[in-house]
Amino acid sequence: MTRIIVVTSGKGGVGKTTMTANLGSAIAKRGHKIALVDADFGLRNLDLLLGLENRVVYTAIEAIAGDCRLEQALVRDKRQPNLALLPAAQNRNKEAVNPEQMKKLVLQLAEKFDYILVDCPAGIELGFRNAIVAAQEAIIVTTPEVTAVRDADRVIGLLEANDITNIRLIVNRIRPEMVQLQNMMSVEDVLEILAVPLLGVVPDDERIITSSNRGEPIALSTEQSLPAIAFNNIVRRLEGEDIPVLDLVATHNTLLNRIRRLFRK
Amino acid sequence: MTPKANAKLSDLIPPQTVALGKADAQVRLTRQDDCIQILLPDPEVAGSSWLELWDSLKQRLHNTEAFWKSGAIAKLWAGKHLLDSRQLQAIADALAKVRLDLRWVVTARRQTAVAAAGSGFSVEQITPKAPDQPTPDLASSAEYWAEPLYVKSTLRSGQEVSHPGTVIVCGDTNPGSTIVAAGDIIVLGRLRGIAHAGSQGNAACQIFALRMEAMQLRIAQSLARPPEADPDQLYPEMAYLTESGIRLAPADNFFKTHRFAIDQNIWLDSA
Ligand SMILES: Nc1ncnc2c1ncn2[C@@H]1O[C@H](COP(=O)(O)OP(=O)(O)OP(=O)(O)O)[C@@H](O)[C@H]1O
Ligand SMILES: [Mg+2]
Repeated sequence: MTRIIVVTSGKGGVGKTTMTANLGSAIAKRGHKIALVDADFGLRNLDLLLGLENRVVYTAIEAIAGDCRLEQALVRDKRQPNLALLPAAQNRNKEAVNPEQMKKLVLQLAEKFDYILVDCPAGIELGFRNAIVAAQEAIIVTTPEVTAVRDADRVIGLLEANDITNIRLIVNRIRPEMVQLQNMMSVEDVLEILAVPLLGVVPDDERIITSSNRGEPIALSTEQSLPAIAFNNIVRRLEGEDIPVLDLVATHNTLLNRIRRLFRK
Repeated sequence: MTPKANAKLSDLIPPQTVALGKADAQVRLTRQDDCIQILLPDPEVAGSSWLELWDSLKQRLHNTEAFWKSGAIAKLWAGKHLLDSRQLQAIADALAKVRLDLRWVVTARRQTAVAAAGSGFSVEQITPKAPDQPTPDLASSAEYWAEPLYVKSTLRSGQEVSHPGTVIVCGDTNPGSTIVAAGDIIVLGRLRGIAHAGSQGNAACQIFALRMEAMQLRIAQSLARPPEADPDQLYPEMAYLTESGIRLAPADNFFKTHRFAIDQNIWLDSA
């Protein structure tokens, strides 16, 4: 049975596309066939994050219109044979596709893959309805900010009303030093409001931005890093493994302590 | 009584009055004999957009505790809504998911009647008036309230429940949510959104919460913002209307220490 998962947030710029690219790559690396669907029509950038921009020929729009076969619209990459991307059209507006067309397309894709991850646009309008229409599960991405959490809450309500009840949360861009000074909401604060299971926590880290700019998801990097560990742990949890969530504040503390001890010597 | 418990909320902001709520702005479910009545809101009050109607129906079905037997027969009171056969089918499918069997469509619109008959529903065409709706000035009185509405899940940001009776929430209400009730509001969890009790003007109505962290409290035409909640000092509280505005009191002794003065239309401290 294919798992169809939508990555959504309500508020823009909180890291949906970053999550989709990194989790998708990590899932593919574990040997599952996965298709990433860019549902952000008009503002596509999933192809960029995956370093696949120069391979896009057709998009979901042509596949829906029947101007190409679905298989032709899928972008693949030798580096990641298990992963395929269905790009969104750059030049069309969001009204170009409706939920029935989108549902048909995703279900057709589902026949060939183990996983489908849909990168949802910001907002709760038609683009959001398109992105969730075929999903059985949802990953909510939020940052520890009041506005992002409020929008995430709104989106969870809409998902539940649309019969998507398998909903899990990723808190992105946690800055331990700010949480510790109580200048930022903690993961517990966020969970207290949203009351959905926690899938993982991702630290705020410049390396995520630099690797995105290079088109090489950090989750695949051979170099060990906290963000890469976080992404891979999330995927393992998604697959049912019981792995404790990284306590970034504690990790931060031990690091600080180590440095302090260094100086005391 | 602690100082906070006795806080006179209206001191904190200038006394304000709010408009009374709309009686029937949302989809409603009631039972009559063994038949579940699905009452669509009046399009003149709630708007006639299909997407909004659909969201309102889905949200209500998701939040409402099922009070019917599996497979119960449902009757749709569509009033003045214009529904085509595809939309009627979508409603029937949504009802089937919560084990309701849509058999009857009651409508004031000929086109809806034709679509419903064409889709195999039994149709009743009526003059545009829903079943036993009290006029707004009567609606404030408890005898005209609908049965209490049980909301079985967390009320999330952007969700609004309005009900011509008492609303009981088995869960939290989050910031950004709104409850408007002609009767009382009872939250068996944290109240963090906006709550408007006695929305048709009944000053005896109260708001109870296990944790009162409301953004705003409204009773009848009064409005108040509770003080910043002290995280260490949270116990069940009752909000009620006095001569000087909305007040909060610990809920455990409330009815021993307070009585409602019908002649003055306010709660009095009888202790
Ligand atoms: N954990 C992180 N640490 C540092 N930067 C991050 C992190 N997560 C995301 N970013 C950066 O934040 C910006 C927005 O991320 P992204 O494009 O993934 O968000 P989005 O939710 O998809 O936005 P949109 O709503 O516009 O589609 C990007 O520049 C990205 O590199
Ligand atoms: Mg994006």
